[in-house]
Amino acid sequence: MVINILEIIISPVLAFIIGIFFMGLFRKITARLHWRYGPPVIQPFLDLIKLFHQQGFSHGPVFDLGIIMALAGSIVLILFIPFGGICPISNSGGLLVIIYIMLFAPLGIALSGGEAANPNISIGISRKLILALGYEVSFLLALLALMTYYNTISLVDIVEAQDNYKWALFSPLALSGIAYFIIMPAMLGIRPFDIAGAPQEISTGPAIEYGGKYLGLFNIWHALSMFVYIALFVDLFLGGGSNPLTFFIKMLVVFILLTFIHGVFPRFRIEQAIKYLWKWPVIISLSGLILITVIR
Amino acid sequence: MDRNDIKKWFKSPDKMGDKYSLWAIYFCTGCGIIEIPPVITARWDAERFGVIPVATPRQSNLFLITGYVSVKTLRAIIRTYEQMPEPKYTVGFGSCPINGGMYWDSYNTIKHLDKYIPIDGWIAGCMPRPEAIFVAVTHLWTLIDQGKAKAYVKYREKYGLYRKNQEMALGKLDWPPLYTTGGGND
Amino acid sequence: MNLAQLILISLCGAFLTYLLGKASSRIRDTFAVFISLLLIIPLFCLYGKNEEITYYSFLGLPLILKITPLSWLFAIAVQTITSLSVIFSLSYMKGKERLDFYYLMLLLVNTGMLGIVLSADLISFYIFWEIMSWSTFLLISYNRGPALHAGMKYIVMSIIGSASMIIGILSLYVNCGSLDFVQIASFIPRTSSGYTLFILILFCITFGIKNAIAPFHTWLPDAHSEAPSPFSAVLSGVLIKMGTYGFILFMYTIAGLNIIINIGGGSFHYLISILAAITIIFPTFIAVLQDDAKRLLAWSSIAQVGYIILGIAIGTGLGFVGGVFHFFNHAAFKALLFLSVGAVEYRTGTRDLNSLGGLIKKMPITFFCALIGVFGLIGMPLTNGFVSKWLIYKALILGEHPFLAFIALFGTWGTIIYSYKLIHNIFLGQLPEKFSNVRKAPVTMRIPVIFLSLVVVVFGILPGIPLKIIDTISASFGFQPQDIQIWGIASETGVLNMVNIFAAIFAALIFVWLLFLMGRKKINIAQDDSYAAGAYVPKDKYNYTVDFYKPLSGMIKPYLRDFVDDFYLWLADVIRTFSDKTRKIYCGDLGYYISYIVLFLAVLIVLKMGLKIW
Repeated sequence: MVINILEIIISPVLAFIIGIFFMGLFRKITARLHWRYGPPVIQPFLDLIKLFHQQGFSHGPVFDLGIIMALAGSIVLILFIPFGGICPISNSGGLLVIIYIMLFAPLGIALSGGEAANPNISIGISRKLILALGYEVSFLLALLALMTYYNTISLVDIVEAQDNYKWALFSPLALSGIAYFIIMPAMLGIRPFDIAGAPQEISTGPAIEYGGKYLGLFNIWHALSMFVYIALFVDLFLGGGSNPLTFFIKMLVVFILLTFIHGVFPRFRIEQAIKYLWKWPVIISLSGLILITVIR
Repeated sequence: MDRNDIKKWFKSPDKMGDKYSLWAIYFCTGCGIIEIPPVITARWDAERFGVIPVATPRQSNLFLITGYVSVKTLRAIIRTYEQMPEPKYTVGFGSCPINGGMYWDSYNTIKHLDKYIPIDGWIAGCMPRPEAIFVAVTHLWTLIDQGKAKAYVKYREKYGLYRKNQEMALGKLDWPPLYTTGGGND
Repeated sequence: MNLAQLILISLCGAFLTYLLGKASSRIRDTFAVFISLLLIIPLFCLYGKNEEITYYSFLGLPLILKITPLSWLFAIAVQTITSLSVIFSLSYMKGKERLDFYYLMLLLVNTGMLGIVLSADLISFYIFWEIMSWSTFLLISYNRGPALHAGMKYIVMSIIGSASMIIGILSLYVNCGSLDFVQIASFIPRTSSGYTLFILILFCITFGIKNAIAPFHTWLPDAHSEAPSPFSAVLSGVLIKMGTYGFILFMYTIAGLNIIINIGGGSFHYLISILAAITIIFPTFIAVLQDDAKRLLAWSSIAQVGYIILGIAIGTGLGFVGGVFHFFNHAAFKALLFLSVGAVEYRTGTRDLNSLGGLIKKMPITFFCALIGVFGLIGMPLTNGFVSKWLIYKALILGEHPFLAFIALFGTWGTIIYSYKLIHNIFLGQLPEKFSNVRKAPVTMRIPVIFLSLVVVVFGILPGIPLKIIDTISASFGFQPQDIQIWGIASETGVLNMVNIFAAIFAALIFVWLLFLMGRKKINIAQDDSYAAGAYVPKDKYNYTVDFYKPLSGMIKPYLRDFVDDFYLWLADVIRTFSDKTRKIYCGDLGYYISYIVLFLAVLIVLKMGLKIW
């Protein structure tokens, strides 16, 4: 009981630290790829300190509630995802609940942005939801392949089944894993899929009216979502981790690969992105699922 | 640079946060904006000091007014400045915002920008080199440290005066006043 | 009070309302609310009872009313939604014409639905079915104009369904000799599987049309959007679910679980599941393209009915519980959404998604209730829609139907897309100047909406209450009982603990809220003080609602034409042309008629002679 409560407190804190670290590393690596020196790795944390003492502007109750809901959703999501043995409330519904709790964040930000009544925000939200529709096809196909292969909907069971280096990525599930990796930039909203928050086109989209602590919460949400999606990949396809350290190293490898993709690509237009996401990843993940149904 | 001074961070996180996380809104008023791309990209890389360009005034706390200010642009400058969250810092870049520069006798250019919005510091020159921006940023750090970069407080306190000047230059303003308090007397 | 009296009170109440309306509209309104609320009490008291009454005998066939756990659940849903709709009608319909008629028909529909769920033989089932169908037709066409066309479409398809049902009834009468459900149920296992399939398909056409399953869905979008809003809530909430009731009745009460799963080598229930999956995926994306709020909700109703049928037809206990629970939930949140849109329409006079916006400032309560309804529709955790969808998905995944599960899950993302469009285009965004004087909805409109949103949330956090009832139903059909607790489902393959999830989300919300308070105090600003690249934009000029998903709709539109509807319209056209041509033989000239008679006689004589000669 005490350990459980401790885990509930520790895992979001750990996720916050790792997420912020990843954000800093993200900026640093991107800068080095651009032949710049780059900011210090703790720069996102310094930004947070500033943002929380800056003034914030509110457009109404839903403007506040939406961003709070988005961040709360991400925090709950962390509690559901095993982090190298730490998993406080994994047994409350499994992967299906995770898929649904993932909805809190985009919906919260969409509601919050909606009340701010700025057309650029609306365009950004519209793009974000369409993009999600694009990557969700392959995401769901990959998850269903996993759930069918292991015949369970519990994430903990899936991780346990991959013990002793029986990673899903090196099993018949490899195709699903590749598809998941291809769509991950779209999930994280990094290039070439940073369409929803494109600063040069629509002035950061949903985040336009966020200033001060709102932007702070938004950034924390971004850090946590970065953590969540990468941790989910590690859990699902790389066999989780026996302890937090190995888990973190796996996450780091995946994250650095993603950052390289971010560093060198330009941005898709939304139609191009959808066309791409509905073609290659879907072909790969669909053949993965068909393979699984055939060999079972 | 005392960015790695942990003690200072604990003592006054507000000031330190403001110093090392200056987010500049990129808003090109005139020719001066041409110096900004080298500043933020690989050659000079302002991100080393935490200075990054952001897209909207809500997210920014540093306002670089780059180049001459025409009457039409002044309207947008005031609007943008009022939308920035406090604490906010403004830096006039180039000769023109200071005293009109080479447009000193133009009918359509604002000569003294600080009559319309408060300015924390100036960078003189036509054009100033990118290094001058870094000098300005370091100077701004000193001002923040000493608590002297309080132009936004001045704007709040003497809002009536500024509003009167703005209306003199632009005619009737179509947005409501930002502050209801703040007398017009100098 | 026995069941026959219940139905009688409901029927007499309807006519009495009509008569009272002739005296005073105030008394009529009060009485309509009174009679519809009154009937909830005896229905509640019937919980867990197994009452049966033979109220009449027709051609030696007993007409029976009977209450089972299944019919109790449906009856409660029907009566609750109708009463709320009547309450909502009080202010929504105020000042419109032919109100006596409106209330009569609304209460008659209610009687019809109650009769359907309570009847235990096919004759009473058919009678009440027709009462419901015809009064529904009159209510759909209440507004005249395009509504007449919608109603005509509905009644033509409904008649085809009834014809199919009456063929089935006659066939059963000839072969079985009785129309009592119990007798038929004992007859079906003794007959050949081909005949069973024939009967099932006949009745599936009837129920499929009422339930708007693809390819019988085409009447629904027109009917839902043209009917008066309170009736749309009844229509979408419970009336189309009479088809669901029929499906459950014929698949599990009459045919039985074993037959359904094994008939045609298991292809029958799989075929229905595939039809249900098609019903989920296409209407969901057609809904994204709609610009009329009620039409959007109508397409969404079709899609959600797909989930219900998918859960029921898949043939596992988990799926059945999920499907029936989703029926119950859909009744709650879809009625809620239709009523909210009705309230908006009442106050603003339009339901065009392209011209509304910003109403959150004017109608906050309606907004929050609609938001809860939308969350239920999407299936966000903490709403009841989540639990039922979770059950359906789990049944599909564990039943090894990954592709059906994929369609169901992907349909959820489509649901998010159109639900957000609904919420954004009505309530969020900028408030157009012409709506600056809109007031909040009247009390009689707020009460039903608030009640329904409470239902959505409470059964979302404590799903055990209705799930227990549904589990007894599924156990009575021979499914394996689930381990249901008040907080959700406990089983070895995966636990759903809503109270845990609620606690986690609540704690996280509190924590983030504290974090939010830690930051510097916020400043409230006006809506038009928004970033516009330094420009000051006047009110009413800065709204983005038209064509909200332009990039997407441009891509998917060519694939989403309703070919079925086109085909039916073409068929109707062909039949009309053919009938026109046939009519030409009646030209009104006596000479022609005499020549027809002579020709006919000549043909007869030739035939007769021909037979004699050769």
